[in-house]
Amino acid sequence: MSDPTASDPSRVWPTGLTEPEAQELHRHLIQGTQIFGIISAFAHLLAYIYSPWLK
Amino acid sequence: MIYGKVWLHVKPSVGIPLFLGAVAVTSFAVHVALVTQTTWLKRYLNGWNASKTAQIEQDVAQANVPPPVALASTTRNSQ
Repeated sequence: MSDPTASDPSRVWPTGLTEPEAQELHRHLIQGTQIFGIISAFAHLLAYIYSPWLK
Repeated sequence: MIYGKVWLHVKPSVGIPLFLGAVAVTSFAVHVALVTQTTWLKRYLNGWNASKTAQIEQDVAQANVPPPVALASTTRNSQ
């Protein structure tokens, strides 16, 4: 029994994702990076205020 | 979104752990370097802060501690 998605012309190999799927995945990755960056910037602000860093 | 098509060529099961792992390893290395290569972070993490350190340094300076006996005798003998 063969994979029915294998003959789908919109899928790109080697990953087998379609372009909208790849874009959606990328959007989540970028959003996660942005949330991580905001939390990290806040943590560095606290470190700057409450530790001897750069003083 | 630019670069989104990278996931057509790189398997997400490889690329995402690689990306997250690179971030984790890099940030861990930076923080290890800060602990090992600076003096203030180790002291801070052990409960010291800048004002406490400055206060103790000031107290030591004001105490006007005489030189150790061994050093004083060495100075006398050399004259």
